[in-house]
Amino acid sequence: MQETLIELPPHWTNASGLEDVLRAAPSAHQSGSPDVRFRIPKGCQLMTDAAVRLLSLFNQLDCSTRRVLVEFEEGEDGVLGYLGRIGFFESLLPNVVVLPGRPMSSAAARYRGRNPSLVEIERIDRKQRDSSLLNRLTMAITRACSQRSDIDELQGAAWTILAELIDNVFSHSETPLDGFAALQVYRRGNCLKVAVSDSGLGMLGTLRPALQSEVPRFAGLSDVDLLVEGFRRGLSRHGSSRGCGLKGCADKAIKFRAELDVRLPQERVLLVPGTHGYKANTAFCYSGLPLIWGTHICFTLRLD
Amino acid sequence: MAEDDGWGRNAGRETYRKLMDFVEVHPGVLVFRVSLSGVRRIDISFASETLVELARRYRGRKGFCFVDLTDGDQIENWAAAAQRAGQPIMSWDASGKPGMLGPEPSQGNADAFRFALDRPEVRAAEYGAARTAMSITNASSKFKQLWEQGFLLRREVVADSGGVEYLYARIR
Repeated sequence: MQETLIELPPHWTNASGLEDVLRAAPSAHQSGSPDVRFRIPKGCQLMTDAAVRLLSLFNQLDCSTRRVLVEFEEGEDGVLGYLGRIGFFESLLPNVVVLPGRPMSSAAARYRGRNPSLVEIERIDRKQRDSSLLNRLTMAITRACSQRSDIDELQGAAWTILAELIDNVFSHSETPLDGFAALQVYRRGNCLKVAVSDSGLGMLGTLRPALQSEVPRFAGLSDVDLLVEGFRRGLSRHGSSRGCGLKGCADKAIKFRAELDVRLPQERVLLVPGTHGYKANTAFCYSGLPLIWGTHICFTLRLD
Repeated sequence: MAEDDGWGRNAGRETYRKLMDFVEVHPGVLVFRVSLSGVRRIDISFASETLVELARRYRGRKGFCFVDLTDGDQIENWAAAAQRAGQPIMSWDASGKPGMLGPEPSQGNADAFRFALDRPEVRAAEYGAARTAMSITNASSKFKQLWEQGFLLRREVVADSGGVEYLYARIR
């Protein structure tokens, strides 16, 4: 059977760009082909949100017995070097084949924690919660956004958002695959991105079974509508008194003009804040996306 | 709490069990005044699983209030969790000024609630007498709703007439 080929573009690619690529290509999970090849051309620069999402996808495909080949056109001078620096290959399952080859030594292991604009990819171990990861991410945000006039409030809000997002990995991720988190500051782009990704059932996968008894009026909603309701009202499989985590994150993200991107197995909601009253807060919704298991969240914050 | 930061549902549930054990070994205590001294940060999930859940469980029987909650982010997160659960929680500052986390009393009951906040205990008859055109039945109904909704506590006393009367108390 023919291999599934997915080719990334030769320029900067964030999570939205990655989603465009995945939508235009055959679905790696659903194509039925046992071989999946990702081609990463010269000039392709993956932003943290796209890198972390791809890492989860590669591991998922490997876990579901696909032979995964990731082919970099450029050597370590290009995106391969960047991925090595952020600890991508330390978390990539060993059976995934990388061409021209995985970096000989891990730049992440050598320099981990030394760049204040980066929190390298960290595994989220569901058996042992690591509060230091949450604090490191918050500190990196605080340092990067020190020019913002609302930095004091932002620090607390960022901690809450990250706590809720990382806790979400524990709550909805019943899978042997690891979850990941990473942060990168983009000075030229005047933003930072925090990505949290897991390969579990996805929030709706755990919420749907409980809806009929807990909130029956939402049971008939489509997945993407249900996700938007989660943002607006907070929904939980544990009953109507819980479930304000996602809503709280969305409220805080909007308050601090952050963008929140939530990608579920086949749906995505991108919450974009309005600009000082000129533009309303907007939720861009996508459904029927190519399958990626789990929940993949990215939170993008302006630096000033 | 094992750390000065409280976050996540599982950590919240563990803390909830400890809080409940504490409440159960103090059966005579009606109001628990909760200090957050030493608690640096909490997220909404943790707030929702701990004190908000405890207040909801004991609603009408025992009260829980904060006595030193000043951090803006914590206030926002406790309030979000309380709002979601429909469980009001009082917060008192050092000067004795009350603050409300979560749902507010309805417009129709707001005045009765303010009246109750100004005194340790109150009878519906006292409120009825203090307001023009307020029947005792109407006043009783307002206080009963405030009690049922978790804004006030109440205890039974024998009225002068020999019947049962309720004394309503603020959660402080």
